[in-house]
Amino acid sequence: MSRPGFVLEVDERTPPILFHYGEGFRLEKLPLGSRVIYPPDPLPAIGDLDAAIEDALDHPLNSEPLDDLLRAGMRLTIAFDDISLPLPPMKAPDARTLVLEHVIERAARAGVDDVEIIAANSLHRPMTAAEIKHIVGERVFSSFWPDRLYNFDAEDRDGLTLVGTTDQGEHVEISSRALSSDLVIYVNINLVPMDGGHKSVPVGLGSYRSLKHHHNVHTLMHSRSYMDPPSSAMHASCDRMGRLLEKSLKVFKIETTLDNRCFGAPFDFLQKREWEWSARDQATYLTTARVTNRMAVQLKRELFSRIRAPYGVTGVTAGETEAVHERTLGAVYRQQSVEVDGESDILLAGLPYVGPYNVNSIMNPILVVCQGLGYFFNMYRGRPLVRRGGVMICFHPVPREFHQVHHPSYVDFFEEVLPETTNPQLIEEKFEERFATDPWYIHLYRKSHAYHGVHPLYMWYWAAHAMDYLGDVIFVGGDRNTVSRLGFRSASTLDDALEMASHTVGSSPRITAMRCPPLMISDVK
Amino acid sequence: MTVRLRDDIDAMSRGWQWGRRRLLPGSVETERSARGFTPSLRGPVASGARDVIQSALLSPLLHFELDRRVRGLEHLGSIEPPVVFVANHSSHLDAPLLLTSLPRSWRRRCVVAAASDYFFDVGWRAIATSLVFNAFPIERRGRLRGTKLAGGLLDDGWSLILFPEGTRSKDGWMGEFRPGAALIAQMKDVPVVPVALSGTYTAMPRGKSWPVPGRPNVKVRFGSAMRAHEGEGARAFNDRIRRRVAVLLNEEKTTWWEALRHDAEGDLDEGPDPNAAHWRRVWEATRPPSGPAQAWPDR
Repeated sequence: MSRPGFVLEVDERTPPILFHYGEGFRLEKLPLGSRVIYPPDPLPAIGDLDAAIEDALDHPLNSEPLDDLLRAGMRLTIAFDDISLPLPPMKAPDARTLVLEHVIERAARAGVDDVEIIAANSLHRPMTAAEIKHIVGERVFSSFWPDRLYNFDAEDRDGLTLVGTTDQGEHVEISSRALSSDLVIYVNINLVPMDGGHKSVPVGLGSYRSLKHHHNVHTLMHSRSYMDPPSSAMHASCDRMGRLLEKSLKVFKIETTLDNRCFGAPFDFLQKREWEWSARDQATYLTTARVTNRMAVQLKRELFSRIRAPYGVTGVTAGETEAVHERTLGAVYRQQSVEVDGESDILLAGLPYVGPYNVNSIMNPILVVCQGLGYFFNMYRGRPLVRRGGVMICFHPVPREFHQVHHPSYVDFFEEVLPETTNPQLIEEKFEERFATDPWYIHLYRKSHAYHGVHPLYMWYWAAHAMDYLGDVIFVGGDRNTVSRLGFRSASTLDDALEMASHTVGSSPRITAMRCPPLMISDVK
Repeated sequence: MTVRLRDDIDAMSRGWQWGRRRLLPGSVETERSARGFTPSLRGPVASGARDVIQSALLSPLLHFELDRRVRGLEHLGSIEPPVVFVANHSSHLDAPLLLTSLPRSWRRRCVVAAASDYFFDVGWRAIATSLVFNAFPIERRGRLRGTKLAGGLLDDGWSLILFPEGTRSKDGWMGEFRPGAALIAQMKDVPVVPVALSGTYTAMPRGKSWPVPGRPNVKVRFGSAMRAHEGEGARAFNDRIRRRVAVLLNEEKTTWWEALRHDAEGDLDEGPDPNAAHWRRVWEATRPPSGPAQAWPDR
């Protein structure tokens, strides 16, 4: 049985705590009495994954077995999660590769000719051929790329169909190919509780017209949190859309869950609790920290982008969307949830080099905010880890760097919008339509590998709840000018940051640190 | 942000206590013992093996390395086990010394409380400590589990050897007692036998893993059994036990009579002022004895 999550109380015997610091690390000696939250150890991975997939396809939840749904002459669309999952990308074979091969094997056996495989990237950047190949595997790639295996295009007006409108007035517009299929099979990786369920098809294969109903400030402000679907307005909206969609479309969902082995050797020390570091772990840390500290940033980025996670698959569930997702969520929480007693005044989080939107790319300042205030802040159920009016202290260098191919609209957002206002509501009112409909951004999204023009605004909205809730946000080691543009403050050291925070939360605050990697969900009682 | 290599190394050497036994954070210790491994080697085979180890190996080894003098064993003649032996603590020698000073019949039915974070942190150490010393884990931070375990052992007829200071003395002088020992004895209505251990700090202080050469002189003095008075609280009983151990320690330095007089006058020798420089307390604690103690002073 794997070890459950743990809340450490820092005392004089506690070694320094490791924090991600972009493409580097920091060891910080925390004040006595601080709490550090550690996620559970990895759950046991499935030994015979092929057998588990076969079993899931033969015994789906609330659905006929997959073989009974496949027949010659049918129109079959298979969709899968894009490169934003999992993080870091998984060592080959990716869980999706194995599931896709089983599905396609059965489709071939049933004599299905009309098969198309779509990367459900929504408004994310289209993936490169190499990235798709890594996800789907060599066999699938060579059989279907590029005509029958491709990125979804949310701006292809001819390829989109309006399904209808929910009782809340939300338009559901998705891929025409998917909608006109006899069966859509969706293959996902459920890394965190936010993923999967009805968020897969209506979002992954949906257009801006659909997404704007839940990717907006009002909805995201009422999603408390994204990691707790029953308390998330965004998920409620997705559920309404998904239910409407499934009235006219048969969806067979296959969800996979992973353990939390994010880093293998030689970086496996990152996963260990500090007091369990061996001499070798300490030496590896010291070497890694020294090397990354002195390495050119491009080289460092290249080094980190080559890291592949040795994730193990802990569950495969197939069948009807909601029944499948309920079981999936249980598995995700088993792996990630930690019970925490009460809120704190200050929340500490080290932000890693990779997030969902900068795989093989650069984590630009907007994405840093999304990572810290959007994701890390929201990794809770019940109540946030920090009290209203409290302070969040993040560790990240926040360099003023952008990937010119992947994030063109981010540059404009940073240079033109943020100097004018950092208020998500005002940004939405004044700038969203312009960014969403700009022809140049649309062109880059469709023909290059750029994120959709509206994407940086969505990232900013993602942080809206935290911005409203927190009294102060401080980036330790952050570039002063960049952080200031974002509307936050930077500090050189943790001690400085705590001193700055004392003006907001007093001189003897209760401090809680999230120890990442791996990811965790705090159940705050 | 550039951090110098030396700063990194300094921070890590302090944080991970390089060159020393690494101690677990308190909350980890508690969590581990809540679900942790506690070997119980008290069956006939393990007891037999322990008897052989203690009689044939440990006792001769201590005799070889130390000039040991044991007094006061006659007090055990008037009581029946189980009892709680309460002693001062300044060296890793204390437990084996006390244990091997006991008559065999008592020793075979004695268990020693050992810090769970130090002696039960990994499986092999837990087994070794349990086998040789018949140890049981006790948390130094006042959690209930150790108390429950100790109470259960007394119920089963085992006598306990407890060091209520919770850790070895840093300067050779006896520290404050935590009330756990008094509380258990009171709860289970068993007598407390105070024991004074002298000279062990000089023989093998903190940081040493073997006694200093030259067969240093160590003394074990058992006092008469004590029981809590009617209506006496655990804290008051604890204070009384501590004072009795202090008297026994003084007795080793002076005489029985003088120690009693000092106790009556409230000026037992407990070393230089606790606020004095650390070296002064160590200096006094390691002062060589002036000679063997006598029942009555020379006139």
